[in-house]
Amino acid sequence: MLLTLILLPALVAVLLFFMPKNTSGSIGKAVGAIVAAITFVLAIAARNDEIRIHWLSRPFDAAFHFAATPISFWIVIVLTLATFGAILATDERDRRSLIALLLLLESSMLVVFLARDLLVFALGWDLMLLPVFFCLIRWGEHAHTAWRYFIYNFAGGLTLLFATAAFGVIHGSTDIIGSSAHIVGSWAPWIFAGFAFAFLVKTPVWPLHTWMPPTYSGSPPPMVAVVSSVQSKAGLYGFIAIGAAFLPDYMKQYAGVFVVLGAISLVYGAVIALTQNDVKRIVAYSSLSHLGLILIAIFSFNALALQGAIVYIVAHGLFSAALFLLLGYIEQREGTRSLSQLGGLGYANPRLAGALCIAALAALGLPGLGGFVGEIVILTGVYQSGLIWAAVLALIPIVIAAAYMLRLFQGIMNGPEVKGLPQHHDLTWIEGLAVAPLLAALVLIGVQPKMLLNFDTRSFATTVSQLSVTPAPRLRPPSASSGRRGGMRREVVFK
Amino acid sequence: MIIPFSSNDWNAVIPAFIPAVAGLLVLIADLIAGAQLKRYVAIGLGVAGAAVTGVFVLQQYNHPYNSFFGGFISGGFTTVFEEIVVLALLGSLVLYGAIGSSGRIAGSVALMLWSATGALIMAGAANLMTIFLGLELLSLALYCLCGLADRATARESALKYLILSSTASAFLLFGMALLFGAGGSVQLADFVNPALVASPLFWMGSCMFSIGIAFKLSLVPFHAWSPDVYEGAPLPVTAFMSVATKAGVLAVFARFIYAALPGGIEAKLLLPIWIAAAISMIVGNVGMLAQRDLKRLLAYSGIAQVGYILTALAGTTALGLRYAIYYLAAYTFMNLGAFAVAAVLSADARARTVLPGNGVSLENDEFGSSLTAYSGLGRRRPVLAAMMTIFLLGLAGLPPTAGFLGKILILASSTNAGYAWLAVFLILGTAISLYAYAKIIREMYIAGGDAPLTRQHARANGAMTHQQEQHSLVPLAWISLILCGVAVVAMTFYPLTPSNVLPLVK
Repeated sequence: MLLTLILLPALVAVLLFFMPKNTSGSIGKAVGAIVAAITFVLAIAARNDEIRIHWLSRPFDAAFHFAATPISFWIVIVLTLATFGAILATDERDRRSLIALLLLLESSMLVVFLARDLLVFALGWDLMLLPVFFCLIRWGEHAHTAWRYFIYNFAGGLTLLFATAAFGVIHGSTDIIGSSAHIVGSWAPWIFAGFAFAFLVKTPVWPLHTWMPPTYSGSPPPMVAVVSSVQSKAGLYGFIAIGAAFLPDYMKQYAGVFVVLGAISLVYGAVIALTQNDVKRIVAYSSLSHLGLILIAIFSFNALALQGAIVYIVAHGLFSAALFLLLGYIEQREGTRSLSQLGGLGYANPRLAGALCIAALAALGLPGLGGFVGEIVILTGVYQSGLIWAAVLALIPIVIAAAYMLRLFQGIMNGPEVKGLPQHHDLTWIEGLAVAPLLAALVLIGVQPKMLLNFDTRSFATTVSQLSVTPAPRLRPPSASSGRRGGMRREVVFK
Repeated sequence: MIIPFSSNDWNAVIPAFIPAVAGLLVLIADLIAGAQLKRYVAIGLGVAGAAVTGVFVLQQYNHPYNSFFGGFISGGFTTVFEEIVVLALLGSLVLYGAIGSSGRIAGSVALMLWSATGALIMAGAANLMTIFLGLELLSLALYCLCGLADRATARESALKYLILSSTASAFLLFGMALLFGAGGSVQLADFVNPALVASPLFWMGSCMFSIGIAFKLSLVPFHAWSPDVYEGAPLPVTAFMSVATKAGVLAVFARFIYAALPGGIEAKLLLPIWIAAAISMIVGNVGMLAQRDLKRLLAYSGIAQVGYILTALAGTTALGLRYAIYYLAAYTFMNLGAFAVAAVLSADARARTVLPGNGVSLENDEFGSSLTAYSGLGRRRPVLAAMMTIFLLGLAGLPPTAGFLGKILILASSTNAGYAWLAVFLILGTAISLYAYAKIIREMYIAGGDAPLTRQHARANGAMTHQQEQHSLVPLAWISLILCGVAVVAMTFYPLTPSNVLPLVK
């Protein structure tokens, strides 16, 4: 079932490319949306599936080994939801090709997040650049956007590749994600540097973020929704699943650097978001800020903060996808992304305004919506870990977030109605259907966060215990039933 | 005088004889065949000869045999390199189905077959004389092939290749003479003699030999000839040269460094070669950035790719040799595929530019090697563009292609062998190369781009018209490029590396 999940979107994408040119885009859209919905179901059904196909035995063991980890399961769910929304929201010229690219992107990212093998992870990592690159050269606003995206991320991919090769040579196997194997020795710092560079570029984190604003603002909304909501999480997922699991010593040793980088991204992103006029750039810089917060959470080595990071990864995935899709609708209707040229749309488009309102409120951390849960848990955890300055610093951008998100919402929906803006119908039901699952999930996480916080952390427990400088809250004593492969794992449950 | 060669000796070199004989048959058949049939007969015989060679070579894989008193070793390592040469031969011959003039086809095919004979001999050569024999056979045929086109650049290419390659051969030969002087033998196996380490003649000889090899592999600083020669030569010849020459010379070089050096001096003796490989990876990839001609671009790409292969060989580990072969095979498929795409495009351009009086402009034979031909290809010929994308991604080392896996295998083995600094150069070079390869991909898929009109271009060169020719053999090039594409992707998931490659000499 896992193999079907991964291959189905890619196969359908290839079939879409072979469809006759004059087929209407709606067929492609329907097919794509159905496939995305099927992957959502499959992702849930295949939660405990595992598949392993031998690949290499020299110079190190590698296998096409796929199984969801507790963290990646939730990211995959977000991925399928975001892809579903993105495909339904596709309204560019040559829709069929864009939908096919979105499906290819989904397939490649499923490889990244479901991979249990480091080499397969690296393969998916490079693979997921291609659909975005093709999208940028075909639909992007400027040629340099595509280059910046591709060259930055390819450089990251290469250092990841190098680190993976060195890792494999030293450890003898790359089939290890989800387990733990400490890598030490003279090579370890270089391996860590290779991984860290790749993850920082992908997240992105200041000062490696310069590819991100043009990519987010210059590419079509469906693509950017998926990229910002899921692709940007690959780096953070890598820090948790690879960095913390295999190189915890170096994670700790250089934690200060990463916390400072995260803090700079956090403040810098928020301040820049406040000054932007392009609505997509506001959300792009807010992403930089939010992801900086998650980076701080990961590098505070606190079980609580880490749980918060996971919730926030999911929540950010949901609200950033929803925001970009909704801003895409607005751009397509009004033909502008400039905040100064928009205004007063809310009176004529109540449904659009309502949807944007929920997404923006989730982004600024309103209690009752997903974003808040993540933020509060992260802040508590970071404070608990002793990084009090970071916790206090993080409060400032959260306040600024309220300012720029409200500025965004009010600038578009409220205020005096701008004369001369083309009048359009409100959200159609298909457009609504694209964002509804994302918003519903945000509300669900907001009122029922236990679903995410209380998940089974068995395979993740070693990570947490390695990371915990301060004692994790309410650690259960090790029990015989808690380890799938051995008794070394502990269960961490937050109530 | 009775020559004490057994029939086994002759069996070992049969694969090298088949293409040579096929070349003669092509020439004879060309005299008999009618004008309409010349193309079919030449390509048919050539492809058949290459295929038979491939079958014979394959049979020897598990039966290593040391023939002619150690002059030629068949089986194992030799088989693998011979198969790569045969693939290069097949992939280049079929390109003549799409382009080239019928009048010259027999000669071109025959020369290419003979050239392949030389490469096959080099693959198994285990003494200095056989090496030189193979190399000169390969090169002499290529000098003629390079000049076989109605363009001034073709003649420039041939002359340049002749002069520079002869210079390299002189270095090689002088090196061999010194080696013989030092060791008193022409057998590569006899150089594994610790006493030689003290001999200055041996060191000088090895250096001269290495310089000759570096020249033939177009390593920096001996690389300047390759872009000019590649650009001027006809498309099928460039395709052949870019793969078969490299395979032959790499076979010789691998045998030399793995099996013909006294123990313990590899690191010292070969350091200049590794440094040259490192610089090649940078210079080749930087050189690619500014090119507007596919053949020149692939020439610079080849300079860098040889650097990658040498990175695998550094440290002279058995695993490294296997990965070098894997990467060479992947490179063969990617390069042949890219050239097949260019050939199909050229054939396209020819079909569109039938001149008044049913003439065809041969000028368009090289249409596919100009990068402007690729604008908007994604819309005009989606399948062709998709295949080209796969080959370019492979050359850049992106998944899902064998180039990706090949790079990671090379990174792993060179890191393991203590040559991590070469791996760093590989990473740097690859990062630079991305722009050059992706530029072509972008050109193909960018909105609004379109190929220039070829009709007017052809009229301006009306003097170059030729008899009308039907090119019903274009499907052969299609088959070749589809197979190359499938191989490039399949090799990622089934990474077959030959296990039976050592020992190299007896």
